[in-house]
This record gives sequence, C-alpha cells and structure tokens, in this order.
Amino acid sequence: MTTGRTRSLRGSEVAVGDELPAFELPVTSTVIVAGAIASRDFMPAHHDAEFARGQGAPDMFMNILTTNGYVARFITDWAGPEAMIRKIAIRLGAPAVPGQPLRFTGQVTRADEEGDERVIEVAVRAANDLGDHATGTVVVSLPRG
Amino acid sequence: MADEEVDELRARLERYVGEPMGPPAVAPDPVNVPMIRHWVDALDDRNPVYLDEEFAATTRFGGIVAPPAMLQAWTMPRPRIEGIAERGGAPDEIEFDNPIPVLDEAGYVGTLATNSELEFVRYLRPGDHLHLTIELESISSRKTTSLGKGYFLTWVTTYMTGDDEVVGRQMFRVFKFDPSTIGATS
Repeated sequence: MTTGRTRSLRGSEVAVGDELPAFELPVTSTVIVAGAIASRDFMPAHHDAEFARGQGAPDMFMNILTTNGYVARFITDWAGPEAMIRKIAIRLGAPAVPGQPLRFTGQVTRADEEGDERVIEVAVRAANDLGDHATGTVVVSLPRG
Repeated sequence: MADEEVDELRARLERYVGEPMGPPAVAPDPVNVPMIRHWVDALDDRNPVYLDEEFAATTRFGGIVAPPAMLQAWTMPRPRIEGIAERGGAPDEIEFDNPIPVLDEAGYVGTLATNSELEFVRYLRPGDHLHLTIELESISSRKTTSLGKGYFLTWVTTYMTGDDEVVGRQMFRVFKFDPSTIGATS
C-alpha cells in the first residue's frame, strides 16, 4: 500500500494556466464494483454487466459517486492534503466501462486571494475512447503561503 | 404524441416544482472510519488526512476528515437486495409522490444523468450524523435531443448535521426521455 503525499502546494505556487499532472485510471469491473459498493450504491448497472446491457449500456458502468471521488483524488493528488475541495461541478457524458482507461487532465483557470486562502478553479476532463466521461470545474482552496 | 397532450403533462408536473422530491432522510450511520477506509481502498486514494490521525492533526483540518466526495454515500438508503433489479435499481419501493412515476407512465421511461454539482461547506469528521432534504428545483419545457423528447429535472439535496448545520449541497440534473421518440425533429 502506498502512502499519500504529505507535502501540499502553497497557494503562491499555483498560477493560472498550470497543467495538473495527467492521471490515467485503468477502469476494470473491479474498479467499478469497488467504487459502487464503497459508496453504498447497489444499482445493478454498476455491478451487473448483463443488467446494464439490458438497459442499453455497453457494459456495467461507473456510478457518479465514484466519478466524483476520482475527480477529487485527481485534484488532491496534485494539491496535497491541505487542499480543501469546495465544489465539484461536472457534466456527465460517455460511460466509464471496463477496458476503457479514463484519462484525467486539468488546468488552472482562476486563482484568487480570499483571506488567508488561495481559491483555485481547475477545469477538469475525464475522457476515454468513447468520448468525454466528465467535464467541468473543481474549486479548491489552499493555504495562501 | 400531440403537443396539446405534452403541454398537459408539463402542466401536471408543475405542482412538484419547489416541493420535496422525497421524504427527509437520515444517514444510517454517522461518519465513521471503517467506511472511510473502505472508500480509500476502493478508490486507492492515499490522501493522509482521511486515515492518518497523527498526520491529519497537523493539518488545517485538525484531525481525520472524510473524503468530500463521500458526502452522498453517508445518506444512501439501506438497500433491499432482493428484487432490486426488478425495481430498476431502486433500493426499495418508493411511495413518495414525485414526478418520476408520472413521467414513466407517460412513456418517458429513459433516464440520463446530465449534471452533478457538489458543494462542500466543510469537510465531515467522524461522528457527524447527516440528514438531508431534497427539493425539486425545476422541470424544463419539453426538449428534443439526440435521445428523443423529454424533460430536464433538476433537484437540490441539502446535507445537514444533527444540529441542522448545512455541510454540503448537491445539484443533480437528469433528462427523462421517451426512447420511442428518438430521431424526432421537434
């Protein structure tokens, strides 16, 4: 088991235009089921491929809570443990299905001083070969530093 | 389907706007470390503020906090597994009067989630016991999309702790559509 980073970015280290380190998640049935059950989402479409196909989906697909969870992880893997996520706003598109890696990319679009914090807006995208799975913005605050 | 009938449907839905989408719900359990650990392992999220008490105490959070995206997970209803597929994935029978069954009965049986906006007022700590209210914010006029004709429904969930402190909100939008109208032009 790996240990997460303990160093955090200081607000002063972040600038508009900065790219976040890209992250590729190898999506498997296990990844989808683990996320669904950890989020207590027992909808069969998130663990039963046959059920999902019966509803017109290509395969079982990731639930929205898990998508939000990975978006949050993508942000804090970059910003560190002092980062506090204030908002995750996403538009949902192509499903995340087994065998289709999800590629997370992000870019800082705003960075404003607010008291002793720096409030940063990141444009995020998680895409696979089917298209954009989730696109939107995350607002995260960091100690100003 | 004639436009007159569709307008009649939208008019029938109007009474749900601004009203609760479901009964107030209480999380089955307070925020707790075992469920955080389950999530951390499932998503391989190694942010130390979620499980490392000693480290978390040195951060601005002052102790362990739950992963913010778990907000919804705490209040997910306890499921009745038997028959869940037959109920289309609903954790249990839903008896609350809401627009979804009205749309289903009118042929708008397709559901596509289109938007989610999570707002975190503060991070949750072990012991916080959440409850929520859900309000239907809006129903669009009938729209034609690549999936067919349907309506966008937007609802807002407000998450509170035991003393009614608001700790987070979620806006959620779905498109309820009639799959038989795919390819319709207006």
